[in-house]
Amino acid sequence: MKTQLVSLFLTASTLITFAAGTNPAHHSCCAPGKEATAPPATLSDRSLYQLDSAWTNDTGAAIKLASLGGRPQVVAMFFANCTYACPLLVYQMQQIEAALPEALREKVGFTLISFDTERDTPTVLHNYRLGRALANERWTLLRGSPDGVQELAALLNVKFKKDSQGQFLHSNALTLLNAEGEIVSQQLGLNSDHAEIIRRASELAAR
Amino acid sequence: MNGHGLMSLAALLMLNVGLSGQELSAPAPTSGTPADMVLIPSGVYRPLFRAASEPKEVSVQAFYLDKFPVTTGEFLEFVRANPRWRRSQVKPLFADQSYLKNWKADLEPGAPLNAAATDVSWFAAKAYAQWKGKRLLTVAEWEHAAGAGTTRPDGENDAAFRQQVLQWYTTLGAAPGPVGANPANFWGVHDLHGLIWEWVLDFNSAMVTGDSRADSGGLERGLFCGAGAQGAREVANYPAFMRLGFRSSLNANYCIHNLGFRCAKDL
Repeated sequence: MKTQLVSLFLTASTLITFAAGTNPAHHSCCAPGKEATAPPATLSDRSLYQLDSAWTNDTGAAIKLASLGGRPQVVAMFFANCTYACPLLVYQMQQIEAALPEALREKVGFTLISFDTERDTPTVLHNYRLGRALANERWTLLRGSPDGVQELAALLNVKFKKDSQGQFLHSNALTLLNAEGEIVSQQLGLNSDHAEIIRRASELAAR
Repeated sequence: MNGHGLMSLAALLMLNVGLSGQELSAPAPTSGTPADMVLIPSGVYRPLFRAASEPKEVSVQAFYLDKFPVTTGEFLEFVRANPRWRRSQVKPLFADQSYLKNWKADLEPGAPLNAAATDVSWFAAKAYAQWKGKRLLTVAEWEHAAGAGTTRPDGENDAAFRQQVLQWYTTLGAAPGPVGANPANFWGVHDLHGLIWEWVLDFNSAMVTGDSRADSGGLERGLFCGAGAQGAREVANYPAFMRLGFRSSLNANYCIHNLGFRCAKDL
């Protein structure tokens, strides 16, 4: 029983393999092929933009998630103090951005949402933007309330927990939302193959 | 577990129930305790899994906790007052197709009003709590409150209580009956064990995959940041593993026939 239980749950000592060409096991989810074309004014039943939580971007402006609508968004949750996986996640988003056809690149948004509701102030987020060269209008950096973060994480299938050092343990996930805010595709883990997200984002942006 | 083991467990269970009915002395209610809630004093929660950077013990502040899980009747009042949480109107993003699946109509429950409300999603439970001016409790709070036995606050040191809880996990699955049929624990809280699973606010805080059994080694590598440093505290605590595994397998819109909830409130 003991060994079964132990193998049930993770105790692994290694976390990340940087193997090139790792298995591109994409986790698409939520009604594929249903990325609808309805006007953003009426949110679909599966739109994450139904969340009414209040957010602040890195200029200090208050926004709702629905303001991200109107174009596909590549979304990740992160925190600025993370020195481990988050920089990689952001780098991967930049790779996706660079891989998009130039004509479509302007039509895709990239959104980083912080777990760290205490420390990631607009100023911290703005410095993060500058430090990571995210300095264009395609990128949005958001800070929310603990409740708002919890809800969004639940919808993005992101697990997270704050440790005693104020760091966050969290899932690594890149999620592609369509213009209406529905999940179209999701890549879990630090997978280096983004072909699926690039393909789907290009399709959506070309509409 | 063989038949003999079950019999002795049942005997223990009855013995324990018999005793606790007489000897239970919950703490005296403090003034200002909301109706049908009890004060759970501050304490410590020792996580089953923790990161290397996490302490062995997490302190839990005192809070008020519902004595009983939310009942079908109470949930009926909630959907009556909040049409968007009626079965016909709920959005699939916030509750899957099993939401209130046994209800005959939007305002017609399929279970007795005193049965625990189940087939409700995390979002629905959270909305209910908010409507009540309460909140869901955290894993740490839940485990702290549920760690109490029937006669003492440290249930883990009560062999009979541990067996009783374990017994429930081997028989779980029947349609939930009325709340309050199980004896109160030391704090005066009923049904933390023995009736239903309960939603917690941070159900999605354990860095395990939904079905780790399928993974060689139990971990999809690279899925989690920092999770590799986590280690198990006490593998013998089977019910705690069950709860961890169960919570980890949930999505926020899942509705399950034996998953309900109760509310907490800050002092």
